[in-house]
Amino acid sequence: MVAMFNPIYFVVAGLAAAFLLTLFHNRERLSYFIMIIALSLMMLISLAHLASFLAGTGEIVQVFTAGFAPPFSINFQMGPPEALLTAIVSLVGLLSGIYLSEQLRKTGAYAQAVYIVLVMGMNAMILTRDLFNLFVFLEIVSIATVGILFLSRSRTSVNTGFTYMVASGLISVVLLIGIVFAYMNAGSLNIDTLSESLVMAGRGGSIAVLLITLAFLLELKPFPANGWGIDLYTSAPGALSALISAGGMSATYYALAKVLPVGQWSHDSLVAAVGGITFIASQIIALKQDDSRRLLGYSSIGQIGLLLVVLGFSEALGDRRDFIAAGLLITHALSKSILFYISDMVQDDSLRGWAALRRKPVLLVLFGVAAFALIGFPPFPSFFAKWDLILLLNGGTEGYYLLSAMVLAGSLIEAVYLFRWFSYALKLPHEDLPELASPTSRLIAPVTAALVLAGASWYVSTLVSGFSQSFLIPVAFILLVAVIDRLPAWSKNVISIAGVSLYIADLYPRIAGDLMTMIFAGIFLVGAVLTLLSGFYYKGRRAGFYPMALTMFAGLAALIEAATILEFFWGWELMAIGSYFLLIRGKKSMPHGLSYLLFSIGGSYSILYGFSLAAAGAGGVIAMSSLVGISVMPALAYSLMLLGFLTKTASIGVHIWLPGAHGEAVADIHFMASAILLKAGVFGLITVLLAMGSEAGYTRWILLALGWIGVLSALLGNISAAFQESAKRLLAWSSIGQLGYIVWGLASMSHLGWLIALGYSVTHFLYKGILFLAIGGIALKIGTPYMYKMGGLIKRMPYSFFAVLIAIITLSGVPPLVGFSAKWITYNLIISEQLYYQGFVILIAGIIAFLYLFRMIYTVFLGQLKDNLRSVGEISIWFRIPMYLLLIVILVLSFLPNTLLRPIGDMLSGIFPEEAIVWTGSRGVTSLGYFDGAMIMYVIVGIFVILTILFLLLRKQTQKVKQFNIFYSGEAPSRPELSHFSYNFFAHYRKAVGALALPLVTGFWDRVTEIIHAVSDFIRRIYTGNGQTYLFHIVLYVVVVFLVQSGGYR
Amino acid sequence: MNIGSIAMGAGFLLVLIGLWGILTRTHIIQIIVSFSVVDTGVHLIMVAAGYMHQRTAPIISEGLAASDAPSLVVDPLPQALVLTAIVIGLGVTALMLAFALRIHEKNDTLEIKNIERLRW
Repeated sequence: MVAMFNPIYFVVAGLAAAFLLTLFHNRERLSYFIMIIALSLMMLISLAHLASFLAGTGEIVQVFTAGFAPPFSINFQMGPPEALLTAIVSLVGLLSGIYLSEQLRKTGAYAQAVYIVLVMGMNAMILTRDLFNLFVFLEIVSIATVGILFLSRSRTSVNTGFTYMVASGLISVVLLIGIVFAYMNAGSLNIDTLSESLVMAGRGGSIAVLLITLAFLLELKPFPANGWGIDLYTSAPGALSALISAGGMSATYYALAKVLPVGQWSHDSLVAAVGGITFIASQIIALKQDDSRRLLGYSSIGQIGLLLVVLGFSEALGDRRDFIAAGLLITHALSKSILFYISDMVQDDSLRGWAALRRKPVLLVLFGVAAFALIGFPPFPSFFAKWDLILLLNGGTEGYYLLSAMVLAGSLIEAVYLFRWFSYALKLPHEDLPELASPTSRLIAPVTAALVLAGASWYVSTLVSGFSQSFLIPVAFILLVAVIDRLPAWSKNVISIAGVSLYIADLYPRIAGDLMTMIFAGIFLVGAVLTLLSGFYYKGRRAGFYPMALTMFAGLAALIEAATILEFFWGWELMAIGSYFLLIRGKKSMPHGLSYLLFSIGGSYSILYGFSLAAAGAGGVIAMSSLVGISVMPALAYSLMLLGFLTKTASIGVHIWLPGAHGEAVADIHFMASAILLKAGVFGLITVLLAMGSEAGYTRWILLALGWIGVLSALLGNISAAFQESAKRLLAWSSIGQLGYIVWGLASMSHLGWLIALGYSVTHFLYKGILFLAIGGIALKIGTPYMYKMGGLIKRMPYSFFAVLIAIITLSGVPPLVGFSAKWITYNLIISEQLYYQGFVILIAGIIAFLYLFRMIYTVFLGQLKDNLRSVGEISIWFRIPMYLLLIVILVLSFLPNTLLRPIGDMLSGIFPEEAIVWTGSRGVTSLGYFDGAMIMYVIVGIFVILTILFLLLRKQTQKVKQFNIFYSGEAPSRPELSHFSYNFFAHYRKAVGALALPLVTGFWDRVTEIIHAVSDFIRRIYTGNGQTYLFHIVLYVVVVFLVQSGGYR
Repeated sequence: MNIGSIAMGAGFLLVLIGLWGILTRTHIIQIIVSFSVVDTGVHLIMVAAGYMHQRTAPIISEGLAASDAPSLVVDPLPQALVLTAIVIGLGVTALMLAFALRIHEKNDTLEIKNIERLRW
């Protein structure tokens, strides 16, 4: 069957159609139709071969021209890589052809003929096995590229087209000389014959191969000799750039891959070095870029740099190289095409102009898909490719540790500019921007590309070992919810809750008995149900909310279920995507959502690096158990993993994203983000600490640092919380402080410490859940989170008041509620482990917690009721239901703390056998003393009752003061909030310790950003815009690389 | 020194002269002419690469039997290649000249320094 699709038809169809078109040059409808038929035929051929290879029935097809076998004739080869690459080229060729229908019809049949020849040339470059033939098709591709530019008639494209022509002319001179010398040395032009000939490894042959390699490298536009190529991206129509970036780059890349074996891989280090430099430099330069096309150009070149690294490290990557390269290439080709198509529809070329996409949500979704795919998020092929790449670079006999770190650093920078841009599109005003040029016919190309990308993602995930397909089920469910996004929120809410509940029912039997997993599964998934329950308050559609919330929960669930570190990392990344979209929903959340995502990505790369060292130590095994007893640089590996997880617990130093991101989030999202999401970091820390243990010598220092990070987070988080004006920000800072306790407890690596950590994990979930729902609900109700605009709400919102009161009593750790048991164990830990310095700070932090809690309840609920709030009602019932559910749990746990702490203690005895608390009923005994939750409750309730009776008896002597029984001294202040007592509430404390809350850390990160941007601005000055300078760059590049590389032969 | 080496040396010399022209001339027509010089140089190198001392043209005729050809004629392949290269060079030069026309039309100048630039 496949024999019908002889690869020679690529050339036949291309040339025949091109000649035919010139006959119909005045019938542009017919000629356009012929062009599309020819392009479709090319795609059909490549798809037929690709399908047969994927089905396992394919055979490598060799086509000989002129009736001779090679080396006496030119031959085409269609094997698996050729099938895949020609499929990519033909697909993008066809899509761009459809996209450009209007322009191509207008410019006429000649342009269409040139276009077909362009696509044909790219395909033939991939298929041919003859060096000179490769040169011919390379020339055809570059002439056709500038030919289309020439016909497009815009001024900048004519100017850049000329430079492009001279530049590619110079490169082909280098290539031609190389080819002739190769022929002189080996007497053949056939790539396969040359690869077998040892002559090519000799001195003369080697120089020939160097010239050929250099020519193809230059065609791939390496930094810094690439100004001519970047200008092309900037000035060409978007769809043409898509074809050049996706098709031309793929073809040239594969051509390079074909000629490297000719020199017996003697230039692989050159290719890797050129790629690495290009990757990093392009990403840095792109940081300062404001023109969207140019930015895409830099990003394209950067991606090719990464692919060159993969090619250069063929030996280290072994048989996974093709998988990695294919994963990166497919993702790059499809997502870059999508972005270039969109760039064509957006009329304002600046990055901010992309906010116009909000008028067409489908384009915004496509933009998001492309951005996340490029950075290598799940479920896209690049996720698996990047994972493999890092693991193999670090896992070989000689680890390329610095290189893998650089790859991750480059990706992080890429994430910075892509997501900054994406958040512009999501959040910036778009009213004044020009209309989108996006008729439905133009949507075909990007939508098809996205669908193919989705299909490829699914297929690639089936090829990965250590990754269970069951993780795709939640993704499918999320897609389903995304499809019905047009329905009202309540219906999606019901479906989501049903989905999560089903999942819990399915999960429970699998984890029953494993208490540690149960605790976190409970926080993540029961939390999911509770937050979704509060979502019923929303009237309307709530576009995009449910897919993203479910993505986050699917990620969290994957953490629980992961059997391999790959699956864990999958869950971690999935969670990051979902939570980012949730956090950026707030009104002023653009910068905060971005900084959250960047810290997330930085953290996850840190984790990935640690994981890769773990896998390297385990000989490539990626089961979760490979984290235990890492043998390759264990101190670094564990530190990096811990650092990564600390970004999610928002510990001091990497906390700066949290106050803004959480402070701007809507009530139920705030609950998800703070009470639930932060616990993912705790879960990660626990996973790593369990694997690390505390026996090895280096662990002492790691744990000491971790302990102090926890302590300082508690102290500084609490101090900063006390100085906030916004109640939501106050709670956000308070989360940093609370998580600090947990980190500190874990770092002690002791029974009591972990009891604190796990106890806090549960109780923090409970009381923070109440506080976020209550405060968030109030802020939503009255339209402001500022405490000086609240006051006296106790009368209007008594249910909220009561819930908040209980929550803050629990949080502050005073008797009788469950928080006290945590405090009591804390004191036990400080004394028994002799943590006096850290303990002292923890005590101070605990006292400061009173300050902000007092401020919150006092300024929100007590004091004077504002005029505008006189008729405000209670917060939504859908907030109160989960609040009171949580409240009931708090009261039960307070009365019977042993129901929570005893099973945890029993479980911990398996890990830390020392000094457990002995429980008899509700009474717990340690070596230092005892504690009885029920007894304390009785005593406190008793005192409360006595005081109440006294109060009632003495009531007659009190005088009730009406709200307006005061006087104003005849002045009306200009800024009323300044004179409000709850504004700058703790001014006196601020004088004393405010310096500690100064944004020192924020300043540090700002400075880092500034420096990197300055470097970016400095480097990009080499692109002067003068064509001759660019030509000089090329000549200089050839000379320098030639000298460096051939120096080795002496 | 045989004619092959001389041709090879001349070819490289032409390439260098042409490169010098491309990098120093600022008039677009002069750049195109320089490019042609480079191209010619490369063609010369290619022909020189196929040349073998004291052999004849690769044309099988009355004086040259097909069976003796391998030991008597020069390598015909580079000559075939150079034909293709010349054709491509012609196409490239023609397109460059067309660009020069259009650049003049759009910018009213042929000085490469003065045409509008994209930068950074």
